[in-house]
Amino acid sequence: MTWKEKLGDRIPAESAREIDTFENQIALKRRDRIDDKVFAETRLRRGAYGQRYDNGQRNDGNGVKMLPFPSNGRTKGPDTVWDAPGMQRIKIPFGGVTPEQMDTLADLAEEYSDGICHITTRQDVQLHFVHLDDTPSLMRRLAAVGITTREACGNTVRNVTACPLAGVCRDETFDVTPYARASMRFLLGHPDAQDFGRKFKVAFSGCRQHACGLVNMHDFGAIAVTRETGGATQRGFEVHVGGGLGAVPHEARLFDPFMAEAEVLPTLQAISRVFARLGEKRNRARARIKFLVAQLGIDEFRRLVQEERRRLAPDARWTAYLDDLSSAAEQPLKSGGPLDGAPAESSFAAWSRSNVYRQRQPGYAVVTVSLPLGDITGDQLRGLADVARRFVGDTVRTTVEQNIVLRWVRGSDLPALHRELDALGLARPGAQSIGDITACPGTDTCKLGIASSRGLAAELEQRVRGRMDALDDAVRSLRIKISGCFNSCGQHHISDLGFYGVSRHVRGRVVPHFQVVLGGQWVENAGAYGLAIGAVPARRIPEVVERITTRFIEDRRPDETFHAFTARIGKRALRGMLQDLMPVPDYETKPDYYRDWGDPREFGIGDMGVGECAGEVVSLTEFDLVGAESQVFEAQLELEAGNAAQADGLAYAAMLQAARGLIKTEFIDIPDDPDRIVAEFRTRFFDTGIFFDRFAGGKFAQYLFRRHARSGPPAGVDAARRSIEEAQLFLEATHACQARLAGAPAPAGAGAVSGSPA
Amino acid sequence: MNAAASAAPDATAVQRIALKLFLDGPAALAPRDVIPVFHRWIQTRAVDGLLIDVADYTHLPTGPLALLVGHEGRYVLDRSGDRLGLQYVRTQPLDGPLETRLRTVAAMLLRAARRLEKDAAPAGPVRFRGDEIDWIVNDRLLAPNKPDTFLAVRPAFESFLDALSGGAPWTLTPRSESGTRFGIHARGPAGVPLETLAGRLDSAAGF
Repeated sequence: MTWKEKLGDRIPAESAREIDTFENQIALKRRDRIDDKVFAETRLRRGAYGQRYDNGQRNDGNGVKMLPFPSNGRTKGPDTVWDAPGMQRIKIPFGGVTPEQMDTLADLAEEYSDGICHITTRQDVQLHFVHLDDTPSLMRRLAAVGITTREACGNTVRNVTACPLAGVCRDETFDVTPYARASMRFLLGHPDAQDFGRKFKVAFSGCRQHACGLVNMHDFGAIAVTRETGGATQRGFEVHVGGGLGAVPHEARLFDPFMAEAEVLPTLQAISRVFARLGEKRNRARARIKFLVAQLGIDEFRRLVQEERRRLAPDARWTAYLDDLSSAAEQPLKSGGPLDGAPAESSFAAWSRSNVYRQRQPGYAVVTVSLPLGDITGDQLRGLADVARRFVGDTVRTTVEQNIVLRWVRGSDLPALHRELDALGLARPGAQSIGDITACPGTDTCKLGIASSRGLAAELEQRVRGRMDALDDAVRSLRIKISGCFNSCGQHHISDLGFYGVSRHVRGRVVPHFQVVLGGQWVENAGAYGLAIGAVPARRIPEVVERITTRFIEDRRPDETFHAFTARIGKRALRGMLQDLMPVPDYETKPDYYRDWGDPREFGIGDMGVGECAGEVVSLTEFDLVGAESQVFEAQLELEAGNAAQADGLAYAAMLQAARGLIKTEFIDIPDDPDRIVAEFRTRFFDTGIFFDRFAGGKFAQYLFRRHARSGPPAGVDAARRSIEEAQLFLEATHACQARLAGAPAPAGAGAVSGSPA
Repeated sequence: MNAAASAAPDATAVQRIALKLFLDGPAALAPRDVIPVFHRWIQTRAVDGLLIDVADYTHLPTGPLALLVGHEGRYVLDRSGDRLGLQYVRTQPLDGPLETRLRTVAAMLLRAARRLEKDAAPAGPVRFRGDEIDWIVNDRLLAPNKPDTFLAVRPAFESFLDALSGGAPWTLTPRSESGTRFGIHARGPAGVPLETLAGRLDSAAGF
């Protein structure tokens, strides 16, 4: 029995088909029938990401050693060994997750991963040390509970995020949840969002003043606003575009101060089309939309988008969800009730001060489950799902601070909930404080990591939490965010105290350092980006935190924020405070400086690999050709199973998909209509001779034309077999044609077309 | 193929199996101290398998705290159920019937546990108990946590335990918590050191 058989029709048909296709693509890759680059982007678009050491090498502290995986040279991407463990990213739109989904995530962590679910800084869940061969079963089990991994990585629209308090916040303009959900559904797999040069991130905020959805650092960020029109209140969004962190951070630009709610989805579609058409594709370092916005200028970018918007054919999905906004609202599991003063453990008071937020709705609260470094074990997550079922139902969300919130907790339930969380090891106080540190995976699992962000975070948390009660309130509420490199997955730019990993060569050795980033602003939707003031050896970062926070307490003006304080003091003075921490002593005197936090190996950067954050630039044509390969493969399976008619149909569908892919090189909007595909193919590639093989001429195109024209009874076994053979030859000819068009040498398989039997 | 037409799961076919030995006096071992030990094991190839990396979850209060991740399986300092111990979690298939697979996993675990007793002693002597062992199955498809699974795998597990204890009786307690993986806690004769258990497995295997 397999999971596919067991879950059967519990998996939505479209998801089932997609996962079957991915499984077939894995099988084809095993047979070396898919190019490394294409397969890498294919699996990335299913959320199957690479992980550190997947090039088969690791520095064990004594030198770089080969990891002799039994893969026999098989790879799952450029320089990526098949059997090396990888990371599976799982999209959780706006962080919304149900107890049933939590159970499944817990099961998957235990069975396919290392027993840990990791919450990311974009409300996703990540599982590490996953074998590629396990991913189809993993995806089916997720699909059966309504979760997709589609477009979790790669050059796609990533997880759509939103404020975890949306709908219950005391300050929000309105609940942005339905808009985030609709955007996710609309953009997932949308044809206009498949040809980007890089990823595209969308976020929704309910207000301007809080951190909320961190709109300022997103490719597309929307803040809920209203206006009065004709005596009625109209909902809309203040839309910002072109924000992003990374090595070259850009603050988002105002695109529209008031975009009517009905315009959000069509505008996202128009932006996608402009980004796909004009965005950089070759230079990966400048391919995010922020560079396009900067290059064109916001006014020209806006003009192009508006022009594109006018050309779009109407789509009912743009506004369908608006008719039903109120029914999409969460329903509390229990009636509300105030905290009744019932006896509680002594630890309850501290926990409730930091981890409980009073909702807008009287009698209810949001409880933050603070997760150390975003990690939760399978047992804990299952236990939390059980708690959620009994206390709040389906109203659970992940947060960009790598925590989980339970919404709609009845006030009078808080002491009991605290006891239950405590029994699970999940009642850690200090949520959203200086002791609740955000960190990306860094050198633990990321190929790009330079220094150990998690090692440093664990060390700082331990130190800070040891004296949390003694901290001044102004310090307690600060944020620390740490990235393992300059790419800012830990969001160090928008933190009060930010750090990112770098290295320095000192007397012939490599020493882990962190750049100290000050001036960032978490609130006001990531309102300001900090700048690095200097690199300090990793070993001395705890002293950096101590000195700066102490100075803040000593020199702070009444009600002065940390952001204002650092601006007033100035970076020169702040750097001066750290100057004596920067020198690196001799290895013989202080060998600890030459090791990273939590890692006893002598530090080195030889383990770094080529990251997959950027995905691979793969054209729509290449994707269609891979899809066509999968359909031919599926046709063979159907034929083996005695289903001749289905096999014949799949072979025909494969030819259509290949032809459509080729047409997209000239006509990107070619509809998925067989008559139109064949007509366009004939006009553009047959009549012009472009498709013609050097020896066989237009013979392979005739296979498509004949099959398209065929009618009559369903194909028998012989006819189906012939269809598959012809589809395969047509596919090879399409590969060859595509290679000629791209000016590249014809792929090895395509060369065989010339000598193939008719 | 629909669910009705497919074969019933065969619990004895499970491959993703884990065994855990418990520490005697767990206070003697600080989880953080195991991280450098695991790194050294990679350098010296001290235990079986293709060893890849170390994962550090010592910041968590429970569950897997320190992992030595390998290709075929992983060694885990684990505090599930509030009891610290060492697990070997098999992830790649093994040959032979279930009893043989259990013996192979047990042999790897015993070698690692004996090695840890020697290598992780900064806070005092570290000893594992030879009278308790947990079996956990990471496969809810073939081995759902149900009484039928227990009935199906019990003969193989008992046969494996017989080999481990030289025929002395064990008390078996299946895991009963809802939603958890199938597993069995086994308690056997007290006072048996790991060397003896390992020796019995070797002799039962004909080494």
